[in-house]
Amino acid sequence: MSSKAPTFGEAALDTNGPVTTALVVGLGAVGTRAARQLVDTPGIDRLLLADRDEHLLAEIATAFGPDAQAVDFAPGDPIPADVDVVVTALPAGVDHPVVTAAIAAAVPVASSEEEHDALEQLRVLDPNARGAGIAVGIGCGLAPGLVDALARHAASMFEKVDEIRVARTGWAGPASVATVRYERRVPVRTWHDGSWREDHPHGDSLVWFPEPIGARDCRTVTGATALLVDAFPDVARIGVQLGEPPKRARLRRRFGDEGEWGAARVEVWGRRDGSFDCTVYGVVERTAVAAGAVLAVVAARLVGALEPRLDQPGVHGLGSLLDPVPFLAELAQRGVRAAAFEGVAVA
Amino acid sequence: MKVFKRLLLVLGAAGAVGMLARVRGKGGVPPTTGGWRELEGPDFR
Repeated sequence: MSSKAPTFGEAALDTNGPVTTALVVGLGAVGTRAARQLVDTPGIDRLLLADRDEHLLAEIATAFGPDAQAVDFAPGDPIPADVDVVVTALPAGVDHPVVTAAIAAAVPVASSEEEHDALEQLRVLDPNARGAGIAVGIGCGLAPGLVDALARHAASMFEKVDEIRVARTGWAGPASVATVRYERRVPVRTWHDGSWREDHPHGDSLVWFPEPIGARDCRTVTGATALLVDAFPDVARIGVQLGEPPKRARLRRRFGDEGEWGAARVEVWGRRDGSFDCTVYGVVERTAVAAGAVLAVVAARLVGALEPRLDQPGVHGLGSLLDPVPFLAELAQRGVRAAAFEGVAVA
Repeated sequence: MKVFKRLLLVLGAAGAVGMLARVRGKGGVPPTTGGWRELEGPDFR
């Protein structure tokens, strides 16, 4: 039996049974926090850590104790033997070879990928994942990720959903900042009246997040819109917005080692009880902390370390992969809590 | 020198207008009533 003190969730595995091993690839802001969450998850017995920065890798492996071990693994390598689940938290586009290798080894994957081109490259692996009979969760972060689950949760309260709007401000680390800048700069693909529409980026508009974040300028981006369309193919309009990252490195340094506070907001518009109505959910948390928790919970559920197990073969966003209520309950236990806006939402 | 001063003036005015537009943003109406309530189990609604 492991000597670590269980902290989160209910173990689904007998700890005297087979050892469950997770491989975490990428120890940036999100990967480190996901690894920390997995170390504290009963049912995950062993953690293999991989990063291109050998000094950082050794430091983190030592800090996480005897259950964590540094391994020599890089994107493109085959998945090591005895790995039960792969967790990727890599810069945009880098995790494709890792996911491909995991599918070849029939090992489930949780990925924090959020950039739209990279997400498309992962989505086309869907037939491969189905053929291998494994589940691959992509966009496992704050937004995409938690917001997709919140959208699913809100949509369950409507007879018919007309529109879903998702917005996020905040970024997890330098790679996340780069992705946000890229998304805000390139032409946008939005889901409008049931079809894709291409457009140039428009200006920012104000989005109200829960306090203390409050109002922030956000711009419509492509982002993970496709994951929401996969989850809600009958919804006429789906839009994703991202807030503006800091322009200079000297501004970023002011936010401290704990990382940038972020927030996400989900609006679901539709019909219930014969009238047009709206449900608004929001989250405020350090972006990397929320993303790490989401990534870890999805990985733990993919491998059955947390119940209910996610075993639906294919490549999925969280809006189509999981039942939101147990997911929200597990995240709340880990300190990531969502809120509902009660009042008059503005269309 | 005169041209340089005029150029500086034009650039300064453009910057001020840009800053004003940036600060104000566009669209969006603040929710004047209501507030945020933390979701709690078992339904998280």
